[in-house]
Amino acid sequence: MADQPIVRIENVRKAFGPTQVLKGISLSVYPRQVVVLVGPSGTGKSTLLRCINLLGRPDSGSIWLEGLEITAPKVNEDKVRQRVGMVFQEFNLFAHLNALQNVTIGMTKVLGMHKQAAHAEGMRELERVGLADRASFYPAQLSGGQKQRVAIARALGMDPHVMLFDEPTSALDPELTGEVLEVMQQLAKEGMTMIVVSHEMSFAREVADRIVFMEGGHVVEEGSPEQMFTNPVSDRTREFLSRITDPGQDEHK
Amino acid sequence: MQLLQDFVTTLQFLIQGLGVTISVTVIALAVGFVLGILMAILRVYGNRPLKALAAAYSVIVRAVPVVVTIFLLYFVIASIVDLSAFWAGSLALGFASGAYQSEIFRGAIQSVAPGQMTAARAIGMSRIKAIQYIILPQAIRLALPGWRNEATLVLKDSTLVFAVGVPEMLRRAQYVSSRTLEPFLAFGAAAVLYLALTLLTNYVLGRAEDRYRMVT
Repeated sequence: MADQPIVRIENVRKAFGPTQVLKGISLSVYPRQVVVLVGPSGTGKSTLLRCINLLGRPDSGSIWLEGLEITAPKVNEDKVRQRVGMVFQEFNLFAHLNALQNVTIGMTKVLGMHKQAAHAEGMRELERVGLADRASFYPAQLSGGQKQRVAIARALGMDPHVMLFDEPTSALDPELTGEVLEVMQQLAKEGMTMIVVSHEMSFAREVADRIVFMEGGHVVEEGSPEQMFTNPVSDRTREFLSRITDPGQDEHK
Repeated sequence: MQLLQDFVTTLQFLIQGLGVTISVTVIALAVGFVLGILMAILRVYGNRPLKALAAAYSVIVRAVPVVVTIFLLYFVIASIVDLSAFWAGSLALGFASGAYQSEIFRGAIQSVAPGQMTAARAIGMSRIKAIQYIILPQAIRLALPGWRNEATLVLKDSTLVFAVGVPEMLRRAQYVSSRTLEPFLAFGAAAVLYLALTLLTNYVLGRAEDRYRMVT
């Protein structure tokens, strides 16, 4: 942990209309770390994630990405987003493109790669998520789990330095979450820096370096999975984690 | 037998205007397509003044009879710049069609799922690139059924350029009618030709629709 943080968030606030969603969030993520954000819905976890790649802009506070303050004026947000991969709950695959084209369009149109190079690279990314044999399938022809794996490959194709996952398994049937979590676990093993909003507690327990519990627009507590699950400081953390863990574990058996 | 022969002769005479009819239609549709897409993008993604401008274009142009637009272009604009009746008529039709096409494309753009834009921005595409590579390719596919309808309407509206003397099919039919005093034959032949053209256009665009339909 001697490194500089790859993402540093300082006192970020954001409101939608009269509703204050983020009430001064500070958080640092170091290279190769996997941080899982947990907390009740409506707590601002997704909003925070969207601030990190500037899909949403904080009202105040600062965010640094690899030492550059991305919330400063005149920062090229397209360049920032190229370094931050994002995976959405609803997949958001490009509906008119097949799996391979979904992965390569950013390479050719954003990074300026040649078609052939992008094709080869795109196939490698699809292989990485185990879907090379689905390259010519359109999103509508893929299962939810496959769609999400293509979406991961699409993000990886841009060679991001950080990956953001916004409830990547919440829209999936329970029997399809495993294949997506496996890919994410593999990514973590390869040393990808990941910030994950998820209710998958077994994933958090196994893969996370750090769990951050958010509630009501604040970070209530953060710590290692072991500490958070066995000996949290805050009663709220204990209550939330035990409530979400017990039924969750039953489901996974 | 004589009637059939006259009918065929009339058809042959009218068909010489087919090229003009098709040219006027294709130019009008192409001009309308460019204008329509542009205005639709401004309507959805433009800032306030641009939105207002595009909306005004659509409302005003659709409220004015197409013939009036043709006359305005031919008698007013064409007196300032050198513009033949053919071009004045075709451009006026295109200008009018652009307003209708802008409505078709606006609806189509708005029916593309919002997550598509978000995902495109998330991989670092600028707004313009996202529109160009992600939104429009989907919107145009979604717009095809409505556009097919507009294409047949413009084909039939191409008869209106006859008002400024362009020798398209209907103009020729009128000529035949006044020479032979057989309006039924002349306009019957014209009706048959327009029917055939419309059916053909519908068929071709219907095939395109099947071919480019998104897999759902």
